[in-house]
Amino acid sequence: MSEPPEIQPREILVVDDNPADVTLVRESLAETVYQSHVHSTSDANHALEYLHQRGKYRTTVRPDLVILDLNLAERNGHKVLSLMKSDAELRQIPVVAFSSSGSAADIARSYEAGANCCVTKPADLKRFFSAVRAIEEFWFGYAVLPRRESNDRPTYTHSAD
Amino acid sequence: MATVATAKPENKLRLLLLEEKGAGQDPTVWEMEYDGQTLPGDPRHSPEKLHEWLAAKKIGPAELHPRARAEMARKLEELARSNHDLEQFAYIASHDLREPLRMVATYTQLLAERYRGKLDKNSDQYIHYASDGALRMQALIQDLLAMSRVNSENVPDQSVDGNGVMAEVLRDLETAIRESNAVVQCGKLPVIRANRANLLQLFQNLISNAIKFRGKEAPKVSITAVPAGPLWQFSVSDDGIGIARESHEAIFAIFQRLHTRTEYPGNGLGLAICRKVVESYGGKIWVESRPGSGSTFNFTLPAQEAQAS
Repeated sequence: MSEPPEIQPREILVVDDNPADVTLVRESLAETVYQSHVHSTSDANHALEYLHQRGKYRTTVRPDLVILDLNLAERNGHKVLSLMKSDAELRQIPVVAFSSSGSAADIARSYEAGANCCVTKPADLKRFFSAVRAIEEFWFGYAVLPRRESNDRPTYTHSAD
Repeated sequence: MATVATAKPENKLRLLLLEEKGAGQDPTVWEMEYDGQTLPGDPRHSPEKLHEWLAAKKIGPAELHPRARAEMARKLEELARSNHDLEQFAYIASHDLREPLRMVATYTQLLAERYRGKLDKNSDQYIHYASDGALRMQALIQDLLAMSRVNSENVPDQSVDGNGVMAEVLRDLETAIRESNAVVQCGKLPVIRANRANLLQLFQNLISNAIKFRGKEAPKVSITAVPAGPLWQFSVSDDGIGIARESHEAIFAIFQRLHTRTEYPGNGLGLAICRKVVESYGGKIWVESRPGSGSTFNFTLPAQEAQAS
């Protein structure tokens, strides 16, 4: 086996109003080969500001992947999803809908709104870790993502939250 | 207390709601008059008996006294509503409990993983108790949810091939079957009209019980179905520890367990779910068993309507 090529760390935005789940996502990805940078916001407005690099997120890097809890307060997760997928630029960013549970109707609705996949948060720690690692592995290890604009290159001078 | 019917429209059946007895008894006693005459035979009937009686006499609701009719309709509606409310409540309660419980379960697991052997000697045990309790509660909530979903999801019934359902159940139970060296034999099963998820749950609960309550030997389980008039009678038989006669009814009640959790794990919902599924199709479920001689769980489900084939 040859050495894996040097990996350019990717940016993940986690949108989740439960800090315990954000911590679990960070823990899941803490020691993987991808060394992804995990950022988080806890509500829809901050998520959209972040994605549009507005306000206090002016200097952040647009994420390569969004892990979105659809069950944000007032169903705002769905709002973030549909706003992202109706925006010409933001719709290129893959969105993983990551919720603790979803009715069949919620899941259908997420895919209709353009979610790239839906994953249920496993209730078991080991399965939670492996689900999040599998998401990272798939999107950064197998999937080919749109090329990032050069002026969009990560500088890592600022880490939100 | 007489609450209904004072006017006397000609040729109308009058229905008198005479009294409401206490809990546990027939809630309602009816007395009937037709054309001003008290009806012959037993004038007192429970609502169900009354319905049967009216149907047998081909007396339609239109012939009932309007106030009696309204009273019956109101009671039925009330019953349906309180049933629905209760199911909604069970569903919402168990659904919303899952989220905080997931936090407890994952974080006690994280504690166990990160700090095993690093705290004082009691701590590992304490964390284990907390974590085990959370896992048990998760299983319990999952079963409560399954139970509340039996009627509430409004999924239309479809033609379900019993053999396909059984194949899926055996796949799901593969680990349990392998670890117990169980031999599961399954006869040819019919196609029935039902909700597939309900059937999966029904067979899965019965077969996993048959494996769980095994004797000293590797368990033998057999599943058969025979036509019984307009119904199919299914049987799941095992050669396990069996059940004493006095418990044959009780085991189907919710939270009813005959063993301690250390002897046999479980939360006492499995057979209650089975009964709810079977009864929701108008079927019956019962057990034939003696301690030490295995158990046979029988249940009936309506046959698929005859189709041109």
